[in-house]
Amino acid sequence: MGRRRFEVPIKKNQSFTLNITSMTDMFTIMLVFLLQSFAAGEVNIEPVAGIRLPQSSTEKNPVDGVKLSISPTELKFDQKVVALVKNQNIDTASIDANDSNFIKPLFDELQKFNKDNEKLAKTGKILLQADQELPYSTLRKVMYTASMAGFPKLKLVTTAGN
Amino acid sequence: MGRRFKLNINHNSEFELDLAPLLAVMVKLVPVLLVSSAFVQMMIIETELPQVVQQAIEEQKNNPKAPQISVEVHKNEGVKIVINDNGSEKVEVVGLNTDKAIDYPTLHAKFVEVKKAYPQVFKIDFNPDADVAYKDLVKIMDEARKVRAKDVRFPIKDIKTGQDTSTDYMFPEIQFSNMMDG
Repeated sequence: MGRRRFEVPIKKNQSFTLNITSMTDMFTIMLVFLLQSFAAGEVNIEPVAGIRLPQSSTEKNPVDGVKLSISPTELKFDQKVVALVKNQNIDTASIDANDSNFIKPLFDELQKFNKDNEKLAKTGKILLQADQELPYSTLRKVMYTASMAGFPKLKLVTTAGN
Repeated sequence: MGRRFKLNINHNSEFELDLAPLLAVMVKLVPVLLVSSAFVQMMIIETELPQVVQQAIEEQKNNPKAPQISVEVHKNEGVKIVINDNGSEKVEVVGLNTDKAIDYPTLHAKFVEVKKAYPQVFKIDFNPDADVAYKDLVKIMDEARKVRAKDVRFPIKDIKTGQDTSTDYMFPEIQFSNMMDG
């Protein structure tokens, strides 16, 4: 005679309670951290893809102004591409033939903005997000064109650091 | 007499707190905050200054005889601080370090030295070369803006009240003076 095989008794209709205390702990910690890091400034600036901003020790929060960005590939007015950047320089097709610092498409966009948004345009403020590796010559063209269009107050956007 | 009803309380009883609704709220809140959170804190470089410093800058602008300090940045030579005081010109040079980069600690020390000599000056003219990288410009502006040492402060006079006070600002007003050059 063979031995009788041992069988684990399993109750088919068994119910159990899941212990979610540790999960609640984790969520509480995450919630506190996220609430703390939630951006509560008056102006939120969205980082532009492809731009590595330089670090600065400045403690000033962003203010409202016209948003310009220069990445290693394009110059944007808000979300609109106004000129291409080639070899870290503004594409010659966008530069005025008589003035090597004048970016015609950017000037036109700023002039249009001046007419449509008088209140913000009156502040004369530009928020410039530029890639940290770009040379001053490229930034200078943007600064020059912006000041010609009535935006002489340049605010350089940086990341917080030491 | 009827017997008084006594509520039977078991002091050693245990109960489980139902955390499911709390968890449901958190599960909804966490993704919302994750999506809207800014993990990179962005700041701007601007000259928002104490009133006393603002007054001093205004006075410097209105005074044509005030000493002029300009900072030239050359990629291969380093930084030149040119001080023009009443016709006499003095040049301070901070060269590159062994890694062929700008020697920022030395530059900061030089700015402190210049500020000690000219505490009334808050504005500098910035003249970088065309090939200087933007990140280097930002670093130089950082070095010039405020003194890092906590125990060093510069004397300043409140023009309105006539009282002597002090500030840790060195050269917060930076003007790109070669911006209009061709």
